[in-house]
Amino acid sequence: MDPVTVALAVLLSALSCLLYIFIGILPGTDETATMAPVALTLLLAGVDPLLVLVWFVASIVAFKTADSIPVALAGIPGGVMAVPQVPDALVAKEHGLADTVLRKGIASSVVGQFVALVVALALSYQLMPAGEWLRTADTVLGVKVARWFWLILAGMVVLALTSRSRWVALLSVPSFALLVQGLRSVYGRPIYISFFLGITIGPLMFDLLSMLHRELRRSYARRGFKEVRLVRVGRISLNPLRILTKEELAHSILWSAVTSVLATVMSPVGLTTLIGDLLRESSRDRVKGAVLAYTVRDAIKNATYVGGTLIPLLVIGQPSGPMTVGPAAPFFTKLENLGMTPRDYIVSRYDYATIAVSLLLASAIAFLVAYPLLVRYSRSMTLAVFRRVPAEALYGLFIAIAIMLAYYDARVAGVFGTLVVSLVSGALWRLGVSLGVIFMTLVAAPTLVALLTALPL
Amino acid sequence: MESDEEFYELYGEYVSLRELGVCTAVSTALAMLFFYIAPGIAGLLNVPAGGLSITLGAVGATVGFAISLFLARVKREVREV
Repeated sequence: MDPVTVALAVLLSALSCLLYIFIGILPGTDETATMAPVALTLLLAGVDPLLVLVWFVASIVAFKTADSIPVALAGIPGGVMAVPQVPDALVAKEHGLADTVLRKGIASSVVGQFVALVVALALSYQLMPAGEWLRTADTVLGVKVARWFWLILAGMVVLALTSRSRWVALLSVPSFALLVQGLRSVYGRPIYISFFLGITIGPLMFDLLSMLHRELRRSYARRGFKEVRLVRVGRISLNPLRILTKEELAHSILWSAVTSVLATVMSPVGLTTLIGDLLRESSRDRVKGAVLAYTVRDAIKNATYVGGTLIPLLVIGQPSGPMTVGPAAPFFTKLENLGMTPRDYIVSRYDYATIAVSLLLASAIAFLVAYPLLVRYSRSMTLAVFRRVPAEALYGLFIAIAIMLAYYDARVAGVFGTLVVSLVSGALWRLGVSLGVIFMTLVAAPTLVALLTALPL
Repeated sequence: MESDEEFYELYGEYVSLRELGVCTAVSTALAMLFFYIAPGIAGLLNVPAGGLSITLGAVGATVGFAISLFLARVKREVREV
């Protein structure tokens, strides 16, 4: 990389970090809805895909470290991934340990990020030759099917079976694939961005439009302002090595390494819930178990986001799990301005060492910015965001970006197509279908529909 | 800062539908306005319009967000304990 690119990487990492600290602290900010549109916008604006990946990795650092701060201080998750930490934080708060879990969470995020980076980069380097095999197509029922399709199908079935409503999830797969392919045939182009954004804002749009229905609106009605209780914290040391116990450090390293690989096909939030619950239940002391679970969950959040992005990006070349069909999906989307996917651009234009050094640099810069800020000023930042930023302003911003990108993708028809896809996705989500299943169906739709129509039934 | 008004819970936050409509309209209008003037600016700068349209559209949406901070009220009552 030339000095200008290095300087841009440093600048973008720092900017991304500052933006996502703010978004991470805000309650109710969904990761896919906030990370993917910004990455997509940067890619469509012509920013080098490697620099966008640098931006994305820095945003993981900031978002996944900051979203647990309102959990520790107020019991309110800053993002979907922070939800599993709420019960642990409430136990810690009851026992006056809010500042303890706050600093342990921030320190274990550092551990999770770097362990996952090292594991994912090393494993990807070893597995890169397998990528070619996965991209080879076989003929099934007269349809050319790439081998990675079966990986997606397996992941989709596992995710559907672990959804709150497994039968609806399984039934929704072919139906949603047909909806997507039907709209694509109307547009006459293999549109992706509009549909992706439609799924991303699906739950928000479904709830929002439900509120326009007089009877349904009643179930959303609340009287008065929302009360948020923010606990006070003491002074926290800046040295992360003095924050974690040996047991917490060992569990953070072990589970970050394991989950960074599993996140290639499994849900990050599912893994954060599963491992955290196992650790909490394995401890006889309720408070100690809650603190350990909270700490390790913070490491796993970073690790699953890093591993779930990098292994499919460097090895498989196709989205293979909830992370790559969700927040990291823009890297696997074919863009007209590049003539290929950003993923293909990155691996064809840059060598492995450049990619690895860029991502390590992005994480290091992001932590240099985020760590002291969050450790020293987490409470005052949370207070400022809670007191100054209305939710309407943020939701309005994301809806506006979704409308603009849908219009860019397929003009007015794109906006209405996005609305249909968002309503169906939101309804399925309400019925208990994981959004990961819907995202994966979007990726697999062309092959799924081709196979469905080729069935001799 | 007590209130007895009726709001609606969306993504764990209390919102006013009227204020959400205004904020969304302002951000969308500015995003589309910036999106549409981008080709003219691209012509002046002699750069491709596609990328600049998206960039300026995102800038417009962000300006809309900044304006929205003054158009909507915060519906959280923070108590320090």
